[in-house]
Amino acid sequence: MSLLELSDVNAYYGNSHVVFDLSLSVEENEVVALLGRNGAGKTTTLRAITGTVPRRHGTIAFRGDSIVDQSVDRISNRGIKLVPEERRIFPTLTVVENLSVARDSCSGTEPRPIEEMFDIFPVLDELRENRGRNLSGGEQQMLAVARALVQNPDLLLLDEPTEGLAPVIVEDLREVLEDIVSRDVTVLITEQNVEFALDLSERAYIIESGENAWDGSIEDLRQREDLLEEYLSVGEASAD
Amino acid sequence: MVNTGLVVDQVITGLSIGSYLFLIAVGLSLIFGVLEVLNFAHGVLYMIGAYVGIMAVQSATGNFWLGLVLAALVVGLIGVVMEVGFLRRVYDRDELDQLLLTFAFVLIITDGVRYVFGSGSRIINPPPGLRFSLVLSETAAIPSYRAFVILASVLVLGGILLALRTTNFGRVVRATSSDRDMALLLGIDVPKLYTGVFFIGAALAGFGGALAAPLQSVTPELGNQVIINAFVVVVIGGLGSFTGAFVGAYLIGIMIAVGSIFAAGAGQLFPFVALIAVLLLKPEGIVGGAEA
Repeated sequence: MSLLELSDVNAYYGNSHVVFDLSLSVEENEVVALLGRNGAGKTTTLRAITGTVPRRHGTIAFRGDSIVDQSVDRISNRGIKLVPEERRIFPTLTVVENLSVARDSCSGTEPRPIEEMFDIFPVLDELRENRGRNLSGGEQQMLAVARALVQNPDLLLLDEPTEGLAPVIVEDLREVLEDIVSRDVTVLITEQNVEFALDLSERAYIIESGENAWDGSIEDLRQREDLLEEYLSVGEASAD
Repeated sequence: MVNTGLVVDQVITGLSIGSYLFLIAVGLSLIFGVLEVLNFAHGVLYMIGAYVGIMAVQSATGNFWLGLVLAALVVGLIGVVMEVGFLRRVYDRDELDQLLLTFAFVLIITDGVRYVFGSGSRIINPPPGLRFSLVLSETAAIPSYRAFVILASVLVLGGILLALRTTNFGRVVRATSSDRDMALLLGIDVPKLYTGVFFIGAALAGFGGALAAPLQSVTPELGNQVIINAFVVVVIGGLGSFTGAFVGAYLIGIMIAVGSIFAAGAGQLFPFVALIAVLLLKPEGIVGGAEA
């Protein structure tokens, strides 16, 4: 039984049909990348899993139980935590308060100590009393991941974690996420930065216009320059 | 030449008006800050609190302090019924629908209270221990009960700010008021939180109504009179800001009282002039956004 299993999922953003008969699975302690061009339906897929956009057809099962039509907070309390693309740090709360709210709101899993987050993210340790709105983009991204991690998730959903970050910050984030995945955290990551995603992941799904286009191991995908070029524009980007 | 003693008297009266305006405006601001609902019915909740306080004083117990506690609890529970039974169904709708729904409560509750208690005004005395005056100078004194209500409003503000900063419930309220969807994604039961916040906001209105009952004549129309000033207070202070509600309430109270020296019978004019000035020059309010 997979930790997460989507079968023939169709999801909509408003009235737009964005995801078509999508199927994917994530096993326990695995890191899976969900790849595709901008607008391919990656974020909508994550939102369908977390219940923030309605799924109209298909099934979504977590640990074998359907989570379809469950409320967003209930899905979260089953252990599925999303780090959204926009980070969505609580702007008027300090770093410690952002983490405290997450820790104390956790009802489905035993939360991790906040001090452990400062060990993983030393940059946040120096910013404990800073308000969320005063953090840089990279610091906010670290805090967004830490806020999800303090809830001790069974499945961590990372939506475009490098979006808008400077290359040097992306490298810092890569180190932190490598540390996190080495701690047996199950991760489903969407990412435009293909190299970043390939370095972290064991398997990948490529989606194109909301449909499954390919899936397999990272080793296989690295051999398939045609796929990287056709669906992820990696060759074109390199040519630039 | 305006008599200095008269001005001091009117400032004291203004502070007293400000204190009970704050007690109604703070709940209004709390509910708007978290639920984003402009609760027109907040005035009638305040009026019910005043009647509960009067009933407690005129009952066999005759206990004013018991009336304060009962007013907060009874009105808080009425607020829960309003939120769970009705408002929850219109959160996703247009703001006008929410406003109209709360306005319907104003009409229904006002008529209901008039049916039960009649349309005549009721007056109660301050509790026995607070019927003396505190002499401030040779020319100025403040009735002890008015001083007590001012102190109570300061304590309520302090208690709310402390709870928001130091308790988990307070942090969750601040987090949810800034990003409801992210709060849900963290597993926070937002509908339950909304009910809790509405209870507290309504209970504050009930408490304020009972506390202010000895300072004014209580009629079924009381809610309609205070809600307008309460809205002026929260707009001037900044919607959703508690410190803003406090500053706004005392400014309005003093404007009404001192303004009536210069324009007898038209003291209410000044807050509305201030309202227009704030809307044009600082639409987020004097303190708006600082803590939201």
